[in-house]
Amino acid sequence: MAIITISRGSFTMGKTVAEKVAARLGYKLISREVLLDASERYRVSEQELAKAIHDAPSFLERYRHTHQLYVAYIRSALVERVLPDNVVYHGLAGHLLLKPIPHVLKARITSDMSRRVQIIVARENVSEPEARSIIEADDRHRQKWTKMLYGEDPADSSLYDLVVRIEKLTIDDAVDFICRAAESPVFAASKENQQKVQDLAVACRIKAMLVDEFPYVWVTSEYGSVLVYTRNRDSSDRLLRRSNEMRENIDGIYNLEVHAGVDVPLDAV
Amino acid sequence: MQELTPDMILVLIMIGLAIFLFIVEWVRVDVVAILMMVSLPLLHLVSPKEAFIGLSSNAVVSIIAVIIIGAGLDRTGLINKVVAPVLKIAGNSSSRIVTAISMTVALISSFMQNIGAAALFLPAIQRISKVQNIPLSRLLMPIGFSAILGGTVTLVGSSPLILLNDLLIPFNLEPFGLFDVTPVGLALVFSGIATFVLLGRFILPQGEDTGTAKKEEAKDPSSHAGLSKEFYELSTPKDYTHYRDPVRVSDLRRRYLVNVVALTEPPDYSVISPAPDLEICSAIDLVVSGKRADVERMAEAEGMHLKEDLDVYKNALSATNSGTVESVVGPRSRFAGRSLQDINLQDRYRITPMSIYRQEENYRAKIDDLTLQVGDVITLYGTWKRLKVLQQEGGLLFSIPSDMEYMRPEKALWAGLWLAVALVMIMIFKIQLSVSLMTGALGMILLGVLTIDEAYESVDWRTIFLLAGLIPLGIATEKTGTAAWIAHNILDIIGTVSPIVLLSVIGILSTLFTLVISNVGATVLLVPLVVNMAIAANTDPRMAALVVGLATSNSFLLPTHQVNALYMGPGRYRTVDFIKAGSLVSVIFLIVMIASISLFYGI
Repeated sequence: MAIITISRGSFTMGKTVAEKVAARLGYKLISREVLLDASERYRVSEQELAKAIHDAPSFLERYRHTHQLYVAYIRSALVERVLPDNVVYHGLAGHLLLKPIPHVLKARITSDMSRRVQIIVARENVSEPEARSIIEADDRHRQKWTKMLYGEDPADSSLYDLVVRIEKLTIDDAVDFICRAAESPVFAASKENQQKVQDLAVACRIKAMLVDEFPYVWVTSEYGSVLVYTRNRDSSDRLLRRSNEMRENIDGIYNLEVHAGVDVPLDAV
Repeated sequence: MQELTPDMILVLIMIGLAIFLFIVEWVRVDVVAILMMVSLPLLHLVSPKEAFIGLSSNAVVSIIAVIIIGAGLDRTGLINKVVAPVLKIAGNSSSRIVTAISMTVALISSFMQNIGAAALFLPAIQRISKVQNIPLSRLLMPIGFSAILGGTVTLVGSSPLILLNDLLIPFNLEPFGLFDVTPVGLALVFSGIATFVLLGRFILPQGEDTGTAKKEEAKDPSSHAGLSKEFYELSTPKDYTHYRDPVRVSDLRRRYLVNVVALTEPPDYSVISPAPDLEICSAIDLVVSGKRADVERMAEAEGMHLKEDLDVYKNALSATNSGTVESVVGPRSRFAGRSLQDINLQDRYRITPMSIYRQEENYRAKIDDLTLQVGDVITLYGTWKRLKVLQQEGGLLFSIPSDMEYMRPEKALWAGLWLAVALVMIMIFKIQLSVSLMTGALGMILLGVLTIDEAYESVDWRTIFLLAGLIPLGIATEKTGTAAWIAHNILDIIGTVSPIVLLSVIGILSTLFTLVISNVGATVLLVPLVVNMAIAANTDPRMAALVVGLATSNSFLLPTHQVNALYMGPGRYRTVDFIKAGSLVSVIFLIVMIASISLFYGI
């Protein structure tokens, strides 16, 4: 009865943990499907999306807003996937993309460096120093990405409900902890919480449809009452026209307003 | 022909810069004018004395005096006294109401600023619309246009005309008298009103919208800015707060577009117009205003019980105690540029703002963050007593059933008398406009029609600096020979034309200029130019200047004129509505203006 995100560094066995949690709870396991969905729906290649959610934006990309664009697509696809509840997501940045949903159990799996190096040496047939540099580069990328887009450090334990280090504790221990936590009533999908997921889905869908033309828009939805924010007053007429056009294609919108040149609330996507 | 000197090039650049800044509005128009005031002497295009001569000019002093006189007339409630008999005459026929009010507005507007006259009449028109059940959209545009046209009836009716004599000084042309323009102005007013009376049904929106369903809901005249006038009473269950996060008044508005107008605070304290952050408790009654569908959606989602009828709050919310009004953010309102959050109507006045209507859009879900603009329509709910308090504070224009005379009606006679004194000084004793008008203004102050502080507050410094700052630009254009140079070049291009054609071209040119830059800016730039053109083409230069002074009031095509901007919100007009009616009125304006100038002045 919950949504579980499992954040992990590369080669920390997080994927195995996620698979076992999903199997034990009978939840749906999702990861790459999200990229496939986004790729299909918004006609962007999967590689580009994967790059957007892994690498920090380059100087040129920052100017072209491709990261905002792709992240909006991925986020929208992810929220659609978690709508039915009872899912385990172990892709990137789940804890950040699903932040507004109150009943998400955010777990992180870490592991000590030597263990990660061993796994990569065995799997990829590379030397130890090479393996170490691969891991470090990957960690750096993920860190830079979250810093740049969300201003957070993925290693910051306060972002998660549960952090398990696989060393003395085993994979099965981690699975036990996560499953037990998921049964806690605070992660149950109450009617209110389900409404929040639905609202987030609507907001993300609108954002994804607008972000190409208007990189600086933010959207909130509350019980189908949608507010689109823009800091730029000049584009508000065009934004309003576009928003009203796509309103027809999205279910569950009772009202839509465009607020230009005002402070954007923190919970806007 | 004269060579293009470096000074002339500089002046052309400054004119270009001014026009550019007027259009893009990176800074406000009056700031552009001050920029000109400062940069022209720095570039040695005018002397320092000439740079600030605008501030002491006849035109600027006249405008200050006209504004003070207008404020005096406003304070005494003279306008309300005029409206009542006008309405009696008008009866209940829509075209007679339009004619009667338009004539009155035009008359008043000929002696005070157009926007002031338009703002004064707005609450009265709103009330008439409600009482007579005539859509506001059918009344406001004709009346607004009449307010603009009324500005052409006397030489103090609008800023361009006040400015005209000052701009003629360098050419040693005979100045115009106060009523020299009256025949032309009256012809323009009559033709404008006639257009709406005869063709109103074709060019005015009829109150019923033809747009999409969404638009219909926003513009339905029977609903207040998309809000139903109806109130619904609900009650919350005993366990309402047990299983949910705290729900506040503002949450219900954002989620379901309903406004809580009253609720019970446990144990049994009734709060009318509760603050947005007040929490909805268990086992209480609350009254909301909104559409039935939204209220039902809320009742279902929040587990509230929707009552058949008002029950607990039946008396507290009766129409004799409280109600909903549409208020408009007036010109120079202290609310403009602030958000409802800053103004805090709920805490300060216990009044609930329900929606904001702005440029074809209705904001209902979240309105406290929007920065208010002149012409925004805010629908307010509150007890009549509290609404009255807000009304007295000024800044918002609205009418309530029992409009209280909070003004100084006993001074009405004095106000009228001093206006008459000023007019007699101008007409009979031929004393200069500024001196006569300032005498009238001073008389009102000395006799307590308004205090000197109120007089200072009423002056719109934006207009003053706009006028004063652009005058040196006119001087520079003339002094450096730039005006003559442009005039000759234009005449070379168009060749020899008859005076009527020349004046028509000037009229069209002025109309186009006034649409993109302010009427004052257009006058200052064009008068030196057209006087030179007229002299070169052997046409009466005074008439050419007069055409500019009049045609810069020909601003009907777009809601750029202050009066149009003010009436756009309450009338629920779209820009197309202005284009539709305005294009016809603009063409008629030009034809009538040229025809009557040639008839009365014989060009």
